[in-house]
Parts: sequence; C-alpha cells; structure tokens
Amino acid sequence: MISLVKKNIAIVEDEPALRENYSAALARHGYAVKCYGNRHTAMQAFRTHLPDLAIIDISLEDEAEGGFDLCRDLRAASAELPIIFLTARDSELDAVSGLRLGADDFLTKDVSLPHLAARVAALFRRIDALKRPDNAAELIRRGALAIDGEKMQTTWKASPVTLSLTEFWIVHALARNPGHVKSRQQLMDAANVVLDDNTITSHVKRIRRKFQQLDASFDSIQTVYGMGYRWVE
Amino acid sequence: MSIRLQLLVVALITLVLPWAGCQYARELESALRDSQERSLLASAGTIANALSAEPKRVFRNADLRAFEARGGDLYVHPLANQPLLDGYAEDWGNSKDLVTLPSMAGLRARVQVGSTERYLYIYVEVDDAHFDPEPNDVQPDNDLFDRIDVWLQGPDGKDTRYFFATAAPGLHAAQQWMKDDAASNGAASIGEAASIGEAPSNGEAPSSGDASRVQAEPRIQACWLQTSQGYHLEARIPLSFVGDRLWIAAYDGGAKRSAGFTPAANPEGGRLFFSTDGLDALLATFIRDGTHAAVIDTNALTLGSAGSVAAQPAGSAEEGGMSWYRTLVEADASYLPPPAAGSGPADGRPGGDVARIAGRPTALSGEPRAQWIRGEDGRMLLSAAAPIVVDGVARGAVLLEQNAEQMLALRTQAFARLFHLTVLATATAMTVMLAFAAWMTFRIGRLRDAAEHALGSDGQIRLTMPESRSGDEIGALARGFERLLARLDEHTQYLRTLGGKLSHELRTPLTIVRSSLDNLESQGLQEEQRSYITRAREGTQRLQAILTSLGAAARVEESIKQADRSNFDLRELIASTLLAYRGGFPDSKFEQELPDDPCLLRGAPDLIAQLLDKLIENAVDFCPPAGAIRIRLARASGSFVLQVSNDGPLIAAWVLPHLFESLYEQRSGRDDKPHFGLGLYIVKLIAEFHGGTARAGNREDGGGAVFTVTLPMI
Repeated sequence: MISLVKKNIAIVEDEPALRENYSAALARHGYAVKCYGNRHTAMQAFRTHLPDLAIIDISLEDEAEGGFDLCRDLRAASAELPIIFLTARDSELDAVSGLRLGADDFLTKDVSLPHLAARVAALFRRIDALKRPDNAAELIRRGALAIDGEKMQTTWKASPVTLSLTEFWIVHALARNPGHVKSRQQLMDAANVVLDDNTITSHVKRIRRKFQQLDASFDSIQTVYGMGYRWVE
Repeated sequence: MSIRLQLLVVALITLVLPWAGCQYARELESALRDSQERSLLASAGTIANALSAEPKRVFRNADLRAFEARGGDLYVHPLANQPLLDGYAEDWGNSKDLVTLPSMAGLRARVQVGSTERYLYIYVEVDDAHFDPEPNDVQPDNDLFDRIDVWLQGPDGKDTRYFFATAAPGLHAAQQWMKDDAASNGAASIGEAASIGEAPSNGEAPSSGDASRVQAEPRIQACWLQTSQGYHLEARIPLSFVGDRLWIAAYDGGAKRSAGFTPAANPEGGRLFFSTDGLDALLATFIRDGTHAAVIDTNALTLGSAGSVAAQPAGSAEEGGMSWYRTLVEADASYLPPPAAGSGPADGRPGGDVARIAGRPTALSGEPRAQWIRGEDGRMLLSAAAPIVVDGVARGAVLLEQNAEQMLALRTQAFARLFHLTVLATATAMTVMLAFAAWMTFRIGRLRDAAEHALGSDGQIRLTMPESRSGDEIGALARGFERLLARLDEHTQYLRTLGGKLSHELRTPLTIVRSSLDNLESQGLQEEQRSYITRAREGTQRLQAILTSLGAAARVEESIKQADRSNFDLRELIASTLLAYRGGFPDSKFEQELPDDPCLLRGAPDLIAQLLDKLIENAVDFCPPAGAIRIRLARASGSFVLQVSNDGPLIAAWVLPHLFESLYEQRSGRDDKPHFGLGLYIVKLIAEFHGGTARAGNREDGGGAVFTVTLPMI
C-alpha cells in the first residue's frame, strides 16, 4: 500500500475497548483512524469532514438502530463513501437491512483484526481501481458473467450486479473454477470471514436473488448438498 | 368416590319425599276414617231416634221376652223369596243359620225356621245315614221308621202334633197325630228315646193300629231329601196354623235315637221370635245405597233389615294393581278388630247377617259405637250401632253397615297419585342431580385433560384453558391455571431464547479479547509469549464455537421464517449428502436404502440438508466404532418416511418424550464438541416447517436407536 496521504477511517462503536483495539490495528496498517462513541458526535464530525471509509456498529449506546440511521445519513452525504457494518448482531434481517441501506459490507464481530484490515484494504482497492482506466488483466469471463477482480465489479449480461464485498468474494471464488465444488469453509476463507454455515447459506441465497433480479432464469450457482456450492455454466 | 357418585348419594335424600307423602296419606286416611265413622254413627243415631218414636212399628211384642235357645226358642228368619220345597236351603237367601238340636243317644240334627208373608218354613238336617221308610198303614206309636215330629201351638193356643215321614224320599204331606188325650202321653214317651220303641207296652197299646189316629194334612207340604250323610227335610206350613210356639224333634226309627224339643220336656220353650212386619220397608226409607241397616231387639235378634253392602263397581277394577299401596299404608291396621271378634255367633245365638257386628252388645246396653270390620269376602266394612231407647230402656239397636271400599278406593287413588308424584319428583331430582354431576365431572375432566396436555411434547405451552370464561369456581380454577401457564411460558421462552441472548451478549466481550490478542500478536512478541497468545486464541475459538452452537436454534428459527420453498428431489438430496458424509466421517459405515424413482418434495432443500446433518451427526455420535448408520427413505400413505438408525445404546423410555425439546441434552461428554441439545430440536423445527413430524425410538431388533421423520408429499 503506497500512499502519500493517509486514508481517513472513522470507527463508530460504543464499546471503548473494542473501539481502541480496532483503532490500534488499523493505525498499524497505516490508516488515520478517528473514533466516535455515538451517532451524534460522529455526525457532527462528518458534517465538517467526511472520512474515506466508515466502520459502523448498528447499536450505538442508547440507540438500538443508530448505525442504520448513520449509514443512511452518510450515504446521503456521499454516494461513494465505503461503509462497513461491524456488529455483534448476526441476524439475517440486520444484514439485509444494512446492505439495503447502501453499506458495502456487513461483518460480524467474529471477524479477526487481520481480516478486518484485509477488508478495508480491499474496499480501498476497489475505489482506487474504479478511478483508474480499465485493465483487463484480472477479468474473469464465465458465459454471461464478467468479474473484474481489480475493481471488484461484477456484471451479468453486461449489467452491473451490486454485490457486497463478502458476496463478491463468494462469487469470485465459485466462478474462478467452474464445476468445482467449494465447501462453505472454502467460501468463508475466500471472503476472509468467519461465519457459520447458515450465514454462508443466506449469503448465497442473497447472491442468487441479486442475479435473478437481472435475469429470472439465473441458475448458475448450484447447491451440492452436504458439500457446498459450485458454478455451472 | 367420584363427584357423580357423591352427588348421587346426596340425591338419595330426596327419598324422604315419598316417605313424607306416605305419612301424609296415612294421616289423611285416618282423618277420613274418623269422619266417616262419625257420620255413620250419626246416621245410626238418627235412625234409632226416629224408630224409638214409633215402638209399635218396630217391636212385634211389647214385652221384653228373653230368648232361650236351650229351651227350644226359635228365631224365625224373614225370607225374602219363597224357597222351593226341594230339600236344599240354598234358596233361603244368605241367612242360613242352623241351630243344633239337643241330642238323645247321639242323633245329630240341625234346624232353621223362616217365614215369608204366608208360610212358615222349617228346614231340618239329620245325620242318619240309614233310611227307615214309613210302612203302609202306619202306626206311629209302634212302627219303627225315621220321622220328624212337629208340635204346633196354633193361634187358638191349642197344640197340634204332626209328623213327617215317607216311604220314599220326595214331596209328601204332613200327617197329623190324631190322639187327642194321649197326645201328651205320646209326647212324653217320645221325650224318652228309649221308651219310644216300647210304645205298644204302654196303656195306649190297644189303640195302636187304629188308622183314625193318623190323618194326612195336605196343607202342610214337605220335601224329604236323602243325602249321603242322612236326610234333609224342608217343610212349608201356612202361617194361619202357626201361633206362638213350635217344637221340633227328629226320630231315628232304626237305631231308636232322637233329637229335639218336645212340649212335654220344654213346656215354656219352643217360642217363635218373628221379625217385625213392615220394618224392612221402614228402614229402607232411611238408608242410601251401599249401606245395610238392621234393627235388633234386646235378644240381638234381627227385627228388620234393609239395603246391602254390595260393592260399587267403581274402583274395584283398580284394586288388583293398587293393593300393594294399601299394604304399604295399612302397615298400621290397628283400627281393625282382631279377626275372631266379629266372626259369627260364637254364643250359639242366631243372629243373621248382623251377628258379626261387634258393636251390638254395647249398643244394646245403650252405648253407640262404630267399628271397622273385614267382611268374609275381604271387603272393608264400617259398622255403627246405636241403641233404640224407649221410655229410658234400651229396647234394641240400629245397626248400620257401610261399604268402605269406595272410600278405600278413593284413598288408594289419592295415595297412588301422591306416590307417583313424589316418585316422579324424586326421579326428576335425581336425574337433574346426576346430569349436573355429569356436567361438572365433564367440565373438571376437560380442565384436567387440558392441564395434562398443557405442556406439549414439543415443549410448547398451550396458554388457553377450557372453562376459563365460566364465572364459577371451575372457571376461576381454569383462570388460575392460565395465569400459572402464562408465567411458566414466560419462563420457558426466557430459557429458550437464553442461548441466543447469551451468544449475542457474550460476543462483544469475546471480540474485545480476541481483537486485543490480535493487537498483541502484532507487537513482535517473544516465542514464549506467543505460545500463551496461541493458547488464549484457542480458548477464544472454543468459546466462539460454543456461542455459535448456542445461537444455532435461534438462527434456524429465523432462517425457517425466511425460507423459500421449491420443488426438489429428496432422493437426490439424500444421495448427494450421503456422499459428503462418507467423506466427512471416514470412520463410520453408512448404509442406504433409497427408492428407485425421484421423490419430489416441496420445501426448503437447505433446511432438509440441515435436518439430515443433525440426524447424521447425532447417529455418528452414538454409533460405536464398528457400527453402521442406516439411512432409509420410503413412501408411506402420502408421506415420505426418512429413517436414520444407528447401532449403539438404546434410548431410555423416560428420555424419549423430551428428546426433541430445546436444550435437552442427555449425553455424557464423549468428545470436545459442545452439545446443547439443539440438534434434534432443529430437526423437529424443520420437519414441522414441512408439515411433517419427527419421532425417536429404538430399533425393533434392540440394536440401537432410530429416528423417523415423516414429510408429506406434494
């Protein structure tokens, strides 16, 4: 990571110890980190200066859904700002809500610090790649599917599919070796997340649904019961 | 003792009703009896008063003669109809009342005298089996033959001697003994039975054989009837022949025996006591139907009578069916006289049909009296007697007899109605109580059943109870149950969600520990410190796994809520899953038994795969190293039956009902993996999501456990 200007990361987390740990880890990776304990102070700071990336917890002090409101406000302020939800809440509903509000990724607190750093780096990389001219080197084409590994962009029949980071990596891992069965564990490793089987299942379900919104006949991700998933063309 | 039985016992108290009714009926009856007695007594008194005003119409003789049965006095029964001269007394009406004649040398004879308006009738029964016929050209003093002698004191006061004898039984006329001077002698000789046969040796011997001494009297007719016991004689004498006295004697010619009275032996006897002419008609004007009235004189001889106590047709028809009521009421029969008291003329007096009236003696002594008696035919009669007092002397008495059957029938009817009513009331009360008890029992039973099944086998609590809307105590009990169950349910819910909550709440501190470890690791540690970090990290990982399992059920419940249904081939799913298990559990032996054709199921394949996961994991955990795990899929009546069985220990019977409950764990830790008893709960959740069921049991061969999941076909 060669950058003259340190990227600004804002962490909005009401648990001080956790906040400090995340802050220390990210600072070690060369980011400028600012921490906020609640939505009010965070929003006040964001009005004067937007960070380059925001990591938000959903429940903030006395606001059980404060993170969602914050995400909505941030997304209103900037369409490109990468937002990661990092929360102890792992329910399907929370994940769907968070991603629908425009978050780029939804991580549970099970994620390790190195994984978190990798995520953050990946998101910055995607933003950087979007700013650079096209580079076909990392392009994977599987029939109607095209994956730009550099920009972390996915298209289906030339239409962009808006995938979260975790979803992108799952699709990426499956499409790289079509026909090969990827176990849930392999998919978790590829996405740099520690999730249980159910969460992988719901991720896959969400991915399918996103493709099906573009093409109702989409059937390329196949479940191999007891083992995992594979990409078929 | 069930409530039903208890209430039934309580209902027995209503049996008091029939008892009370019975008491009431008795008292009513006693009052009725009293009033009837009083009324009859009043009637008798009224009649007696009326008669005492006209003593001449009542008493034939003004004097108070004493009746001497031993002296040969005879009561002349008034006869309603003229009897046929046939030797039988059956047509003498119901007043057959024979007087035994005094016997000499053992000849037994009985006599009765009666009269119509024109004739005096004599009926004699003689026990003399050997018939000695009257010879031709009879000489009564000498000839030995059976005969009956009758001395008549005519209206002129002169005695005439007749005798009845015949050569052959049948009708014949009396013969007059025409020996004027010797009449008394002959009579005297007849008084001595032994001397009768020696008549020829008497002073009259020379006159024997004189035909003029016997003369037929055709106006006096008689019928001689021979019977196996002896003979009967029925004779008819015009009343114009009859004065005040009459003597009768029977003579057995063969055995020289005699019986009877003679003027010589009983010169003061042989008086005839007649009833009073016209008294019957007079009495008839006083009485009503169903009443019998009689007037007796001081000798208790009937001077006149009227009416009869014949039972009215009404009421008698029911008697048979109702007699048992009467026996019930007449447990108290103390008002009846002892049976012997009124049964016939025990003192040898002729008394006619009123002789049985026990009130007679007291009435004759001046005391009115009423009495209940039972007639010969079993009918109840009420009798009353009142004295007829003339000039301060009781000259006789009026006897009234009334048929009490009508009153009895009335009473029986009233009692029967009362009895029926009370029995009906009792039966109704009992039925109502029984029905009420049944209803209560039903309600309590319903509540009990609901309470028993409130906690379902799936651990779900049914919060509503039957009867909870009722306002009574059972409703209150049901509401108490509901409150209890609601609190229990809250607690159960809390327990059920505890895993998820714990997993959620512990996640943050765990993350703090782990992220701290991450940071620590990046500080460039020494080797020794690093190993501690590694151990701490392993610890957090295990903690992480525990939290994940704890939250698994909650996540499954959530994913079930959001599951999409699609049609898929269950057989293929199982086959492919099994392939994975063979790889995943290389130490276990899997056997499969799947149908040949696809098994289409509608549901969530991911969930079914998860269900299978849990079942296989469970089977692998309990299967011994050399054992096999058998997976079987079959069709059965509209459902797919998935069975996963494994060799290994059996499931205890008391565990079976709880196996599928959340957080129920019965295994001793055999491995490091945490077990929270959620696996089978998840199996059940998924089976129920597909409209199916999950069951646990032991294999029939006793070699292990078997888990059966039923999933309905499309």
